[in-house]
Amino acid sequence: MAKGKEMMGPPSILIPCSYISTESNKTGAWRFLRPRYEEKTSPCSAACPAGEDIGRIEMLATQGLFKEAWETILWENPFPGVCGRVCYHPCERACNRGEFDEAIAIHTIERFLSDTAARNDFKPVLERLPARKEKIAIIGSGPGGLAGAYFLALLGYGCDVFESMPEPGGVLRWGIPSYRLPLSALRNDVSQIESQGVRIYTGRRITRDLLEDMYGTYDGVFVCCGHSASRSLGIPGENLKGVTNGLDFLRRVREGEIPSVEGLSVIIGGGNTAVDVARSVIRFGGKALIAYRRRRQDMPAFEDEVAMLLDEGVELRELVAPITITEESGEYVLTLGSMKVAGEDTDGRARVERDGDTTEEIRVKRVFKAIGEVAAESWFEPPEKGTDIKILNTCVMVNRPDHPAVVFGGDLTAGFKSVVNAVASGKEAAIALDIVFRKGLDSVDEGLADCMVGDGPAHSMEIHMKGERYKRSSHIVPYEEINTDYFSFTQGITQPRLLRDERLTSFEEVDLKISASVAMRESERCFNCGLCNQCDNCYIYCPDMSVVHDSSIQGRHVDYDYCKGCGICVVECPRNAMSLEEED
Amino acid sequence: MEQTMHENEYLYSGHVACSGCGAAIAMRFLLKALGEKTIIVLPACCWSIIAGPYPQSSLKVPVIHSAFEAGGAVASGVRAALDVKGDTETTVVTWAGDGGTFDIGFQALSGAVERNEDFIYVCYDNEAYMNTGIQRSSSTPYGAWTTTTPGIEWKKLRKKNIVEALVAHRIPYAATANIAFPEDLVRKAKKAKEIKGSRFLHIYSSCPTGWRIPSEMSIKIARMAVQTNIFPLYEVEDGVNYTINYKSKEYPVREYFKLQGRFKHLSDKDLEQIQEMVNEDWQRLLKKA
Ligand SMILES: Cc1cc2nc3c(=O)[nH]c(=O)nc-3n(C[C@H](O)[C@H](O)[C@H](O)COP(=O)(O)OP(=O)(O)OC[C@H]3O[C@@H](n4cnc5c(N)ncnc54)[C@H](O)[C@@H]3O)c2cc1C
Ligand code: SF4
Repeated sequence: MAKGKEMMGPPSILIPCSYISTESNKTGAWRFLRPRYEEKTSPCSAACPAGEDIGRIEMLATQGLFKEAWETILWENPFPGVCGRVCYHPCERACNRGEFDEAIAIHTIERFLSDTAARNDFKPVLERLPARKEKIAIIGSGPGGLAGAYFLALLGYGCDVFESMPEPGGVLRWGIPSYRLPLSALRNDVSQIESQGVRIYTGRRITRDLLEDMYGTYDGVFVCCGHSASRSLGIPGENLKGVTNGLDFLRRVREGEIPSVEGLSVIIGGGNTAVDVARSVIRFGGKALIAYRRRRQDMPAFEDEVAMLLDEGVELRELVAPITITEESGEYVLTLGSMKVAGEDTDGRARVERDGDTTEEIRVKRVFKAIGEVAAESWFEPPEKGTDIKILNTCVMVNRPDHPAVVFGGDLTAGFKSVVNAVASGKEAAIALDIVFRKGLDSVDEGLADCMVGDGPAHSMEIHMKGERYKRSSHIVPYEEINTDYFSFTQGITQPRLLRDERLTSFEEVDLKISASVAMRESERCFNCGLCNQCDNCYIYCPDMSVVHDSSIQGRHVDYDYCKGCGICVVECPRNAMSLEEED
Repeated sequence: MEQTMHENEYLYSGHVACSGCGAAIAMRFLLKALGEKTIIVLPACCWSIIAGPYPQSSLKVPVIHSAFEAGGAVASGVRAALDVKGDTETTVVTWAGDGGTFDIGFQALSGAVERNEDFIYVCYDNEAYMNTGIQRSSSTPYGAWTTTTPGIEWKKLRKKNIVEALVAHRIPYAATANIAFPEDLVRKAKKAKEIKGSRFLHIYSSCPTGWRIPSEMSIKIARMAVQTNIFPLYEVEDGVNYTINYKSKEYPVREYFKLQGRFKHLSDKDLEQIQEMVNEDWQRLLKKA
């Protein structure tokens, strides 16, 4: 060992003096367990229908790399501004930090990142595949259609989106009120999507005939027209003048109309539409009462929204169903029948039935119907049976010899209707079409399974495009695998909000912005489950100097010549980004 | 963590410490803190083997092997020789195990620090004579199995409080450190380096082989020793000024004991008694700080 020699010098006095190093002992031969770097899947990312790489997003945000964090969202979801605001964030329910103290406020950070991107006019640099000759038509510019077009554009396809309304966005534009989703947030996301080469043709209503025409010009069609027809109540009086569809009301509000809502309005239903109608009525100075046939905990509307609704003074009547509506001197009499719980539905919600003959009458100024929406036209619905139909997770694909591949997605095929589920559906449609064009129909199932996040059902574009994430193990890191010795209890952030009184008089956004320092403090709480954040514990604690820094992305490797396989690096990795395996 | 931890390596791979050896980690951290101008005096201990068989060395700094009982004396001599040569830069470090510190080397250590010799004495403590086959030392804790305290004859005497014995000499600096707290360890070693006179570091170093623990738990168990107050992190300046460096989580000692084979015979009652002993020692320490 030259180094050893230099260090010790030749023996000059008559005592034995070592002059070589121990490096000739290859202690790696002792090893029967082998540590290795293996990034894994964080539970939040597996719970996100869009499969966002949340652990990495938080890591980048912590480092102040806001643009990179935003781009990491854009790999998997083109709607950070929208989803940071209106998503029901299933990720946070799965967050490991929730078992330790409080879940990470993932959606708040997502919104912060998109606001920051907009303020600084960031231009994302995204991974794209080379252009291809196939062109795809997308019908509907809701979150599903636009996500589909965006991902197809990244995969190299030319995309034309056709939208019947004068502006894109679907429910995001004409449904969800601006106190939850300001127009600017939607427009930022949409223009980012357009900047990827997606063309949106508004005011272009597609009919069944026009669809047939498209078969000649396009190589694939994605039908994503949403659910815009209100379900009917099926009771006498529902067609009276004072009884309107909740969704129409919301659309008129977003078109800029200021409706007159004096007196009491009753909203029938328990979903997002009902809640948004009630909260809008309150803001226009009216009184609102929601009549719902089941209980609060059974409402399909998102929990947080219901809590705010009650806070804003909307009354909620549970276990009542409308029986008749009659007109009486310019007002209406709504008769409600009591309901009772009679078991549980398959989805865990209460099944209800009439509770005897008890009824009650309420005098109201108007009634809004909001008991759910369905497809407006029958051809929006995918065919139910046939050998040429492929039922995917969130889409239905039809491949007939006489026309190009057609995929139905978004609300039209959703088990659970939400913005992020529509995005997931757009992504699945894009990936499925990509596989059809590149490898053929027979490869679709396998190809989709290959790009799942964890055990699915979410898919990842980054995995499909064989980015870094492709190398990750699908193992979902549970809380027990986090070395919590490296974390201390810290309180999560509380979302700053407009005061209640301020909310009641305007359509200003209720949730306020947070500062960069608050966002960084919050993202720093993230365990980064399964991901290496270069903490270097493996290097620091190695008794055998067998973790060696290098210039790879990992930044280090294990020197198996000397590693004795003690396993300290694996146990001391705070976030389970290493694995220990038996030597064979 | 400060940069020191991520660079500057003064150990060679290929040393023959057992898998997961805490003493190897302890040496690695110490040298990262002290740097290459360091001479190690090595009385008989596990490290006599880890430092390499002739003609090999696992250390990039000079090492003098010495007799078991002579750590304090040899270091005094080395210091004197360096002084004669006018070398004031080099730090002399005696690196001894608990046997060489608590028992066999105690008189030479006591003599050297009484003279306030200018050196750092480090005891890496693995709580028994591990290298010779796990015989108990006066550092072996109450309750432990060793080959000389086997079966029902497990050690029923307390561990000697070596830091207090050194503090009684009123040396300029004495501190405890632990391999699971590298920043604290490195800070203390750097601080010791800057102080003149006798300095004493007592480093907790887990021993997978002797403690009957899985090698990967080496650091985890070391950390628990601090979290349970079994091995508090503190430093004492000039024999009087106490500072406690870590606000303990006060985990129950049971958590620490149940992970280790050397304690597996202990009953709940024994553990309760140990808990009381630990609480008592901790209260005593708090009063001094
Ligand atoms: C009031 C309300 C509030 C909601 N709040 C939330 C929320 O807070 N969070 C959440 O996650 N989800 C929420 N949802 C659900 C969510 O908005 C939907 O699940 C989602 O928008 C579905 O997306 P989509 O792309 O499938 O359809 P849509 O958003 O409905 O978009 C379909 C688009 O297709 C267009 N179109 C229809 N027919 C044609 C045609 N023939 N030719 C051309 N274009 C056509 C429509 O004009 C529309 O723009 C809410 C829904 C409603 C109704
Ligand atoms: S701690 Fe971070 S990575 Fe882990 S589940 Fe929560 S948000 Fe995801």
